[in-house]
Amino acid sequence: MTRYLLTRLWQSAITLILASLVVFIGVRQLPGDPALAMAGEEASPERLAEIRTQLGLDDSLLTQYVNFIGNMLRGDFGFSTRTGTPVTDLIATTLPVTLWLSAYALVVAIVIGIVLGVVAERFRGKWPEWFANGFALIGLSVPNFWLGILAILYLAVTLGWFPASGYVPMAEDPLGAIYHLTLPALILGTGLAAVIMRQTRASMIETMKMDYVRTARAKGLGRGRVLASYGLRNSLIVVVTIVGLQLGGLISGAVVTERIFALPGFGKLTLDAVFTRDYPVIQAVVLIITVGYIIINLAVDILYSVINPKIRVGGSN
Amino acid sequence: MSTSHSRSSAQKTGSIVRKTWVPIVALGLAFTVTACSPVQTVDDSPQGEDVTSAPIGDQTIVEGGDLVMALSAEPDRLDPTTSSSLYTRYVMQTMCEKLYDIDASGEIVPMLATELPDVSADGLTVTIPVKEDVVFADGTELDAAAVAGTIERGLTLEGSSRKSELGPITAVTAVDSSTVEITYSEPFAPLTAALADRAGMVLSPAALAEKGDAFGDSPVCVGAFKFVERVPQTSITVERDPLYYDAENVHLDTITYRIITDSNIRSANLKSGDVQVADTISTQDVGSLAETDGIGVLQVGSLGYQGLTLNLGNVNGVGTPAEPLGTPLASEATIREALSMSVDREALVSSVFSNWYSPACSPISPSSPFSSAASEACAEYDPAAAKEMLEAAGVTVPFPITMQVSNNPDTLRFAQALQAAVAEGGFELTIAPVEYSTLLDVQTRGDFEALQLGWSGRVDPHGNMFNFLSTGGGNNYSGYNNTEVDDLMTEAASVNDVDERADLYGQAIEIVQEDNPVIYLYRVRSLTAYSTGIAGVETFADGVVHLSHAAFVEAE
Repeated sequence: MTRYLLTRLWQSAITLILASLVVFIGVRQLPGDPALAMAGEEASPERLAEIRTQLGLDDSLLTQYVNFIGNMLRGDFGFSTRTGTPVTDLIATTLPVTLWLSAYALVVAIVIGIVLGVVAERFRGKWPEWFANGFALIGLSVPNFWLGILAILYLAVTLGWFPASGYVPMAEDPLGAIYHLTLPALILGTGLAAVIMRQTRASMIETMKMDYVRTARAKGLGRGRVLASYGLRNSLIVVVTIVGLQLGGLISGAVVTERIFALPGFGKLTLDAVFTRDYPVIQAVVLIITVGYIIINLAVDILYSVINPKIRVGGSN
Repeated sequence: MSTSHSRSSAQKTGSIVRKTWVPIVALGLAFTVTACSPVQTVDDSPQGEDVTSAPIGDQTIVEGGDLVMALSAEPDRLDPTTSSSLYTRYVMQTMCEKLYDIDASGEIVPMLATELPDVSADGLTVTIPVKEDVVFADGTELDAAAVAGTIERGLTLEGSSRKSELGPITAVTAVDSSTVEITYSEPFAPLTAALADRAGMVLSPAALAEKGDAFGDSPVCVGAFKFVERVPQTSITVERDPLYYDAENVHLDTITYRIITDSNIRSANLKSGDVQVADTISTQDVGSLAETDGIGVLQVGSLGYQGLTLNLGNVNGVGTPAEPLGTPLASEATIREALSMSVDREALVSSVFSNWYSPACSPISPSSPFSSAASEACAEYDPAAAKEMLEAAGVTVPFPITMQVSNNPDTLRFAQALQAAVAEGGFELTIAPVEYSTLLDVQTRGDFEALQLGWSGRVDPHGNMFNFLSTGGGNNYSGYNNTEVDDLMTEAASVNDVDERADLYGQAIEIVQEDNPVIYLYRVRSLTAYSTGIAGVETFADGVVHLSHAAFVEAE
């Protein structure tokens, strides 16, 4: 086991080094000069030269890479070239926003998806099923940005139920944070809710035809009890699998939602950094995502090896 | 087997239901959404009349309150010396007063100075009287030494964006506690206009000594409001400064600038009441906003321009000597003139921007005191003559030109309209959309034939012309080279009489319009929307939204 762990850790370290190289080179391959993006329309050759020196862009690529890695290892991600804010501060303030938003959207998606899925199965061929199917169709086919704008127009502007923008940190005001995140979470969760609804409905239809369900009904259990205790419970396995697979999509979908609702999240940070060629921010953000993926993969591999020792043997071979 | 059969029958039922209802529901939804969308008509636009303020007048002020303004882009570091973002000016306006400002008519007026600068007969010494009994937000006294220190910082700080704006200064001296003297190696008339922008924002010497390069993290100046906090990407908050010399005319408790980059979302936030002021409203939204109860619109012509830069000699990048490009477009002024004559500016502005913007033919705005008949002259729209000129020049007709543009929707719509418009004059315009940062790069490197970009504009025409049109100028992206124009612009920058300067700039523009290194197309209008629950909001030709004296007012 120790040998397997060491091997996996070593492999992860190599992956991380390669990833840092790809990030470093990739960022510099983007068309557009960060000095120009920083100087804006007031760029003059002298000012550009100054900015390049300030950013260390005059150094050789090797020197820049060594500095980048050295600073990263010391936990120094540098400063945003746009606002001068330390990148660590930017990440510390934006990451929780995206995590809260994604978690809220996940809850919304699970609740809406499962309820509609059960309703669709329970009222097959009647209007509740048509409604649920209509919701799934819209949820899957209408893009987030369009749905978001419509939601702002009707739920925020016309009805005034939700704020159209703004964010309150969860630590400062939990109720305020939930109030501000509700509309974005509804929009972000719609797509996943549609997927969950379809899966729940399909799975419930299968489950409710099983012999044990018929037996339960024959023993005199009520339809509602059978639906909840037998149908839904057995259908949830598929739903949980689907949720796991869709989680990544939820977090990447947050980029669009954050932009529409002006939420200061990780996705918006990344997007703005790319548009303004903010090298330190892009590098740090991409590297952090990479590290996250590596850690998750490592954890999953280790868990697999604990569950199934054959994998451990295979890995060491 | 039985399960499979049941599933297929279930699917069949579901399928029939879907086939029948889903399209109906979807269609109904689409109709509802479309029917509820506001439609803007061209006739509703006000044809360019400036509305620069929403005056408080006899409305009853509700003291206090927190105002939220939706800002269309995130400001860069809040340091007036290094800032290169125009949006920083919006925020700094409430925190950092300048020596001079502009008024509703575009004239320069004193702000922290008591009078306009006194310039010596030889133009080499400029004397500025500074207000007394004024303190910074940290309690430090404002005096001539603080002003001199700020100007000195603009000249010497590494990374300063103010150096070229301040001109060839040789010394800055505090003559006494309220008089600053600036000495030049050669006369430099654009100084006053520069001091009505970030170069003229006076910084607290105590804060500078304490924070140094980190001054922009929490700036301290003289202003109606003082800095509270900045949440990156999200907002900047300022609060009323009790030490401000005119504090009795400040009514709000705080102002929060919330960054909302999407124009539609800014409009929606204004309608929902989440924000009370929003800048840079799209011409697509402004018509419906103007007709919405409880929302007003301020509009003022910009000092900048949008134009089509033609590459004449920018072969190795800006900052390197221009070299002949060798293409017919670069070498034949007739072709460029024909292109300018093919553009029906009025029709383009009307069809693409519903008349909210104005046609432009020169780098000097008609609202500028430096505008003249010569600077407002425009190439006659005559596509037939343009085609004849092309044929006479012996080039292929339609004449192909590739135009690089930024890939945002408004610019692309304009580019497509321009493409259709110049076709009549014998030009085949190919649109090459690129992302904004890339476009800046392409422009600097000279890797383009034609390129559509604009300039936000400065109060003094020197800032709108010299760097763009002088030989070797820092923003001369066209690679234009004309000594006569250079001489006229240099002379214009060295005299102080407005009429004389206007005449010199007019002469330079006449030549530029013959050479057409830049074909000026249109001038945007700064469109600012506000809730009528507030008053005292102003916006002038520099586009900056003034909120220092804004207030919530009682509903009528």
